[in-house]
Amino acid sequence: MLRRRPYRAHLFVSDGCRLFPPTDTRLSPPRFVLAYLRILKDDIHCCAAVLQAKETREEMPCRLTRRDFLNYAAMAAAAPIFEVKPLRGIDFLLQNSPTPRKFLLETMPGGMALFDYNNDGLLDIFLVNGGRITEGLHVPENFERSNPRYWNRLYRQNRDGSFLDVTEAAGLANAGNGNYGMGVAVGDYDNDGHADLYVTSYGKNILYHNNGDGTFRNVTAKAGVSGGGWSVSAGFFDYDNDGRLDLFVTRYMDWDTDHNKICGGDWHTYCPPNAFPATTCLLYHNRGDGTFEDVTERSGLAAKKGRALGVAFADYDGDGFTDIFVANDGMQQYLFHNNGDGTFTECALESGVAFTADGKGMSGMGAVFQDYDNDGRPDVLVTVLPREIYSLYHNEGGGIFNYASLEAGLGALTSLSAGWGVGLEDFDNDGWKDLFVAQSHVLDNVQDIDASLRYKELPLLALNHKGHFERADSGVTKPLAARGVAFGDINNDGCMDALISCLGGPPVLLLNRGGGNNHWLSIALQGTRSNRDGYGARVSVNGQTRVATSAGSYLCANDKRLHFGLGSSENATIEILWPSGAKQILNDVRADQFLQVREPERS
Amino acid sequence: MIHLFLFAWLAGQAGTSDAMQHLQAGLEARKQHQIDAEITEFQKATESDPNLADGFVNLGAAYMEKHDYGAAITPLKRALELSPDLPLAHQLIGYALLSEGYSAEAIPHLQRVGALDALGIAQIESNQLTEAVSSFTAALAQRPGDPDLLYYLGHASGLLSKDAIDNLLATHPDSARAHQALAENYFVLRQMPQAEMEFLEALRLRPDLPGLHLELGQVYANSAQWPKAEVEFRAERKLRPGNAEAAYRLGAALLQQGKAHDALPELERSNELKPEMPETLYSLGKAASLDGDSTTAEGAWQKVIEVEKNTSLAAQAHFGLAGLYRKQGKTAQAQHEMQEFQKLQGTIGPPRSEK
Repeated sequence: MLRRRPYRAHLFVSDGCRLFPPTDTRLSPPRFVLAYLRILKDDIHCCAAVLQAKETREEMPCRLTRRDFLNYAAMAAAAPIFEVKPLRGIDFLLQNSPTPRKFLLETMPGGMALFDYNNDGLLDIFLVNGGRITEGLHVPENFERSNPRYWNRLYRQNRDGSFLDVTEAAGLANAGNGNYGMGVAVGDYDNDGHADLYVTSYGKNILYHNNGDGTFRNVTAKAGVSGGGWSVSAGFFDYDNDGRLDLFVTRYMDWDTDHNKICGGDWHTYCPPNAFPATTCLLYHNRGDGTFEDVTERSGLAAKKGRALGVAFADYDGDGFTDIFVANDGMQQYLFHNNGDGTFTECALESGVAFTADGKGMSGMGAVFQDYDNDGRPDVLVTVLPREIYSLYHNEGGGIFNYASLEAGLGALTSLSAGWGVGLEDFDNDGWKDLFVAQSHVLDNVQDIDASLRYKELPLLALNHKGHFERADSGVTKPLAARGVAFGDINNDGCMDALISCLGGPPVLLLNRGGGNNHWLSIALQGTRSNRDGYGARVSVNGQTRVATSAGSYLCANDKRLHFGLGSSENATIEILWPSGAKQILNDVRADQFLQVREPERS
Repeated sequence: MIHLFLFAWLAGQAGTSDAMQHLQAGLEARKQHQIDAEITEFQKATESDPNLADGFVNLGAAYMEKHDYGAAITPLKRALELSPDLPLAHQLIGYALLSEGYSAEAIPHLQRVGALDALGIAQIESNQLTEAVSSFTAALAQRPGDPDLLYYLGHASGLLSKDAIDNLLATHPDSARAHQALAENYFVLRQMPQAEMEFLEALRLRPDLPGLHLELGQVYANSAQWPKAEVEFRAERKLRPGNAEAAYRLGAALLQQGKAHDALPELERSNELKPEMPETLYSLGKAASLDGDSTTAEGAWQKVIEVEKNTSLAAQAHFGLAGLYRKQGKTAQAQHEMQEFQKLQGTIGPPRSEK
């Protein structure tokens, strides 16, 4: 009778019971239990209660027996959604190498990918490392990577949930001196059925082709995608719908160790982004022969310099072409509308996603481009620094967005936090995408400067109540210097998990406890006419919509499978709009399964 | 200025012939900006005629010109012994004593000639803070906007405030006001937990003290504890229904929590109580826009622009109007407002570092 996890409980008393103060009428689960214990202590058993279930937000009056009350209290006190689990077999430490010189890049890594590199059905983990920065500083710094402690790492998941370091065997050891690692993108750029890796760096980026035999080959030179400068987040997407994945790379700023600055006077801090010149992002078009063409200029993207950290893709106006949202730090955000002819037009201002509601620029870091309110249109969410609010832009249709942070509850949740990696995933499978953000301030001494702020923070988990977010317990009890977060169903139990990268530390795995009664569906797309990963497809399941992509967040690549919570539904209707334009409908699909859907060969 | 005055004044003075000759020679040396010669001649004049008050005044003035304020004091004192009503001597000795740190002794001289600015400084240094505030206020009435006077008025007021608070803490350490004062101090230092604790204690002692809920609410707002801030602002508004700030803060806290519909009447009320406050009008526009009341939003933001004209708040109002018109399909008006926003908003266009 009682639903699991009623996150709000309204208490009132009747039949002579003692009255609770009105301020106690909205209680989080632990306080609810405390309140209940007070009732027990006072030997009061005749209380009535109004429970407010998160699914409905409607008050459901009910008279509780003592047993019901105990039952409810036990559920309310139940463990949070996630459990912090040790990553067996993973001994990785993110080497960001902080120095007294306060190089800005020290505080920016590191990326992670959740992907199945060997197609065994289990998610594997790729972790991007920073690099060595010498204390004494020899400018120019070469960011030595030959020592194994600075390598990027690939960990293969075993059947028992443990991981095995296969970095060397896979050919991924030593990313090369001079390359301070940042992020990673995952996509099958040659449509051979094996996920390839693109690793971004300060220095040169690397494209690793997956040979399909457990090894990778560095094909950067042949592919022509080494980039240069300070690359950050990247993502594969098919901007011209030719069935081949193209590549977009964000770049932060023109910066080098020779021209580093230290800011903050006596506080001695990292400098804000506007202390350094802006730069352009990069767009590579996939020629289909294993090579890419740099089309940054031709596409019109070079016309807009920025300080890009995050990128997310979606066709926001439904014209059939995937658009690009770029999170810029300390300035306006960019929305590159895909004109469908190989060019893009930056239209953030006209579309309403450039600034906050007050017309102010923001410290855009991570981004996600998914539909949070189940109206079928992808919305934008950008993580920022404290004293700002994570910006949520609701897609109104017609190419227009509306700043919706306050209505969605983010004003109260995020104004003192610094957010990096971000995701909109349905963690409790109730049919609404919840919000998860990896949080930590940029400045490691921020608390000395502003006592109300913290360097290390707990991540934010906010459950989605029909478009309104409310804080929930993430299960993390120790604040983290978190940066990236990647999402995926790591143990294939039908619940989305999260993996967080932390400066100077090991990755933190948040395993979803599951255990609820809600149903789910996980869909793996296989394009035929479209790109094999199906990136860019719009998939709707029982009224919810997801854009197929592994990009988004910050520096990270997510599990490419599309996860849907189905609530109490045991069946689903799936509608897929492929990038090729093909439409596919699957009716009466059984819930609680991993489903592979192949694009029809012909329409 | 002082020189001209001295010449005019000396024209009517009498003395021995020798002394007068040295006096004239000193004045000639002054015209030539030969300070040492000036001092020598005035010294000779006073030696020739030890009762020549104007000789001592000029000698003191010469030392003042040389910034040797200590040396100026003795001849100026002698001048006043000889002629106690000499205004110039009072003025100069007042400055000299003040410069040498004898502020208490300087005060009667400066009072006598109405040198309000120097008097105020002397009063600060003598810890006569109330009097100092009065002196600077009077001086500002004569020289409105004078930066030095404004600074000293602020300085004196601050010291007076600190003095009063120190007194309060020393004499009534357990009073609600003492806890309030401590809380305000913690708030300024951004030590919010301590500020909260002190405000709560003050409220425990005097729950109906005006302003306490408002200040505690701001502690919570600063710590992003918006529901708690709302409770406090609501309590303040109940205590002081005619207080515009309480209504404004409550509206802003509600808005921050996305409760635009509830925020709207509070902001409207604040605007009624204290019309044309730009921040209130801007928030009113924002709440109305979020609540779907585009007419109120439009009116409020237009009023902001009318009141503020070229400030960043006006830019924000233009931006808000652009969004409002865009949603209404009024493309031309939206573009116009966006252009106005861009004109005012420095962050648009190429980043500063590229310009």
